[in-house]
Amino acid sequence: MTMQFHAPEAAITAILVWGAACPIGLLRPPGAARVAALLSIAACGLCLTAAFLPGGIVAVRPPIGLAGVAIGFRVDSLSRWFLGLIGVVGLAASIYSPGYLKHLRGRARPGFVWSGLTLLFASMAGVATAQNAIVFFAFWEMMAISSFLLVATEHERQSVRRAAFIYLGATRIGSAFLMAGFLWAHASTGSWNFHDWILRGSDASGPAALILVGLLVKAGSWPFHLWLPIAHPAAPSPVSAVMSGVMIKTAIYAVFRLLVMGGVEAPWIGWTLVAAGAISAFWGVLFALLQHDMKRLLAYHSVENIGLILLAAGVSLVARQASLTAVSDLALAAGLFHTLNHGVFKALLFLCAGTVDANAHTVELDRLGGLIQRMPWTAATFFVGSAAICALPPLNGFASEWLLYRGLFQLGASGPSGEIRLVGLLLLGWVGLVGALALACFAKAFGISFVGQPRSKEASHAKEGEPAMVGASVFLAVLCAALGLGAPLVWDAMHGLGFVRTPQAWTLPILPLTLVGALSMALIWLGMRQLARGRPTRTYITWDCGFGALTPRAQYTATSFAQPIVRLFGALYRYEMEVVVEGHGRRHFPTEIRAESSHEAYLESKVYSPALGTVIKLSEGLIMRLQAGSIHQYLLFMVLTLGLLLWLGGVL
Amino acid sequence: MSLAIHIVLLIALPLLLSCVIRKTKALMQGRPGPPLFQPIFDLVKRFRKGETVSSTASWIFRANPLVGLSIALVVAMVVPWTGAEPLARGSGTADLILIVYLLAMARFFSLLAALDTGSAFGGLGASREAALAVLIEPSILVSLSAVALASGTMDLSVALQSPVRGTVALLSGSAFLLAALAELSRMPVDDPTTHLELTMIHEATILENSGRNLALIETTVALRTAVFFGVGVQILLGKALRSPDNAIVSAASSAAAILMLGCLLGVLEGIAVKLNWRRVPSFVAFSTALAVMSAFVAAVGA
Repeated sequence: MTMQFHAPEAAITAILVWGAACPIGLLRPPGAARVAALLSIAACGLCLTAAFLPGGIVAVRPPIGLAGVAIGFRVDSLSRWFLGLIGVVGLAASIYSPGYLKHLRGRARPGFVWSGLTLLFASMAGVATAQNAIVFFAFWEMMAISSFLLVATEHERQSVRRAAFIYLGATRIGSAFLMAGFLWAHASTGSWNFHDWILRGSDASGPAALILVGLLVKAGSWPFHLWLPIAHPAAPSPVSAVMSGVMIKTAIYAVFRLLVMGGVEAPWIGWTLVAAGAISAFWGVLFALLQHDMKRLLAYHSVENIGLILLAAGVSLVARQASLTAVSDLALAAGLFHTLNHGVFKALLFLCAGTVDANAHTVELDRLGGLIQRMPWTAATFFVGSAAICALPPLNGFASEWLLYRGLFQLGASGPSGEIRLVGLLLLGWVGLVGALALACFAKAFGISFVGQPRSKEASHAKEGEPAMVGASVFLAVLCAALGLGAPLVWDAMHGLGFVRTPQAWTLPILPLTLVGALSMALIWLGMRQLARGRPTRTYITWDCGFGALTPRAQYTATSFAQPIVRLFGALYRYEMEVVVEGHGRRHFPTEIRAESSHEAYLESKVYSPALGTVIKLSEGLIMRLQAGSIHQYLLFMVLTLGLLLWLGGVL
Repeated sequence: MSLAIHIVLLIALPLLLSCVIRKTKALMQGRPGPPLFQPIFDLVKRFRKGETVSSTASWIFRANPLVGLSIALVVAMVVPWTGAEPLARGSGTADLILIVYLLAMARFFSLLAALDTGSAFGGLGASREAALAVLIEPSILVSLSAVALASGTMDLSVALQSPVRGTVALLSGSAFLLAALAELSRMPVDDPTTHLELTMIHEATILENSGRNLALIETTVALRTAVFFGVGVQILLGKALRSPDNAIVSAASSAAAILMLGCLLGVLEGIAVKLNWRRVPSFVAFSTALAVMSAFVAAVGA
């Protein structure tokens, strides 16, 4: 037998290399972190290679433990798609991190971050290639723990500790649901292999519901999104990039693997995904508008984009049930393509935010401004990322959202009943609303932080990031453009990978149109230059109404920019603006004016807080009684538990 | 032939339309107003003047007029708003999602350019324009796709020239035109002639533009107005205006209808009062409601 080197072998090698890099990061010598970084880059390359190799199965049956379950890896088109995503974002983050970690000096040891990061990469690759539920779950838990450690990198700050614990709690709840679902599916099918999980109709409902909740928690979909905007910004920026760009996508992977392209088919899943997705998309972008911390804003946008992906997945299922195969394929392709695209541009945006953090020492939008003059490369790449996330042509975000729009339109045109057709059209308008909100939000994010006048000393003294950090951003920005302009090729690749099974052509001439647009811009520019001959352009101050120089304080802030939109949707949250004016002649000569805005979602204050309060109260009372500190009591508990388990074992 | 007519109208109609609107408005206000072609004279003068650029501004401010105009030109070339057949019919170029997002790209640049100069007015205009876009985007998308539903393709060059049920045409045409008033910053949402900065929306975003730069933006606005009106006319009256064998007749009647619509707008601007900014959402809600109704009729077929 000849040893072949196909995708599973490449992926396993990558996992092993990452696994080797993990303990190296913990070593004392100063070069250890560098070795871990190089190993990580190599493994990312391998992972990316695996995406282009033919798939296959590799399984090892361990002699003890696991009750006869193989440690199996199975790589098919879907796994390869996600391995590609992990490889690309991992590569960018690995190149970026050394420069960024220098800026964390004194607050975190680079080695710790490296070992956490490599463990995270390894476990994500494991999740994407696991053949059965046991292996999947083992990697899933490794992923949860490593990302928890990474969120807690700067654990000396109280807010970071809080974020890390909230994140840990969320992962526990999600894993509990997921494990229950897996056990149920195993009980119904008698197998741990995902491939054998073929459940239809009412048999599928129980396990599907549990699995779905577990995955939605991990993905950060509404209404389980609360942890995401708290945890992601607390982590170091390259880690946020990996978490937002890739890690939450592992849940999307499992949604596709089991519920959308797999054998667990409950009739209600499609519409549930549509509803969760549509609400998440709107909710995420709306709350992003309320933020004035760049990283929190980006984290909320992950909730939005996860929503769009789930919406696409749901539409695909709904269309399949109505036997509209072509529409189903369109939506499936939209979801998968958007998963990849969001990974790329969200990682790009987080890396840029990290560069801003490292060089302007803040990501508070209202303390930034004018960075385009001082950090031109970071500004340009952030601009590309913003345009991509707003789905502006010709970038990659547009290509995948266009597929989603096309799927919704086709659902509206060819749906089997009037209701479904109407829903298709209205969802199309809904996605348009989300798109317009995203545009407003990124006009704010870019417009407040990168253009205008600097609003603080830090911002006016900012310098461009290190070449490697900028290089990683440029790499991702170029990829945004390439995936957008090359969308027809990606579409063909999706045919090849078997995601799109009906013959459908890509109808959008994106590349020619871009060239025509660029050409007309160039012509207008040349014409303007001709006109400018002999009539010089004067550079002068911004119009100040004759009152003397404008100060940066006169500019709109992030809060004031978003205010008209925030007011429109005021029914969903409590929004307060407190203005304090101090001084003797308060009206004309105030000594101090302070304005502070705060907001609180009703979902959090009216639903989650009371529920959490009840749980804490109950468990406090219970724990006081149970853990009274008496050995006798504990021994009794043990005996009782043992007896219960034996009894259960006998009954089942 | 048809393409030639389209290009001629593309060059002539936008300017003519802005002249007609301004003249009607003046007459409605009981004054003779400047000569009919004054807007064109103004434009020519601006193109020949020097410009002043803020020292705070970056490449975004310089790129904005170029991006805006070239996007408007591309859109005007591929969408059949004149009734004549435009470039590359049925090739998928006039995809309605693409058109909407191209316009969104132009908006993204104009919002950033407004913030770029660091002026408070720019921020005010940009913030309001972003909020307006949030309001009108769903309406425009839903009304256009309700029209396109009958032909089953998102390509406007096919969809706008295929038969649509009368009710759908009426509902989505009105929804589209109402949304267009807001999108184009016309009364009663925004007053294009205002000189009080605090009530401005569109004007506030371009306050720092001057000379050639301003002329480019004004050309863009004229072009976009004509395209939006043209699309509205095609949705509402397309069936009546099209004569299958004579391209000149259908183009001429479309052009006449667009100019008529311009007169109507002039009358409206003469008699309407600019809405308080806080009441704009309820104005746009009419458009959204009409769009949803048109979607209902198109999908359910009541």
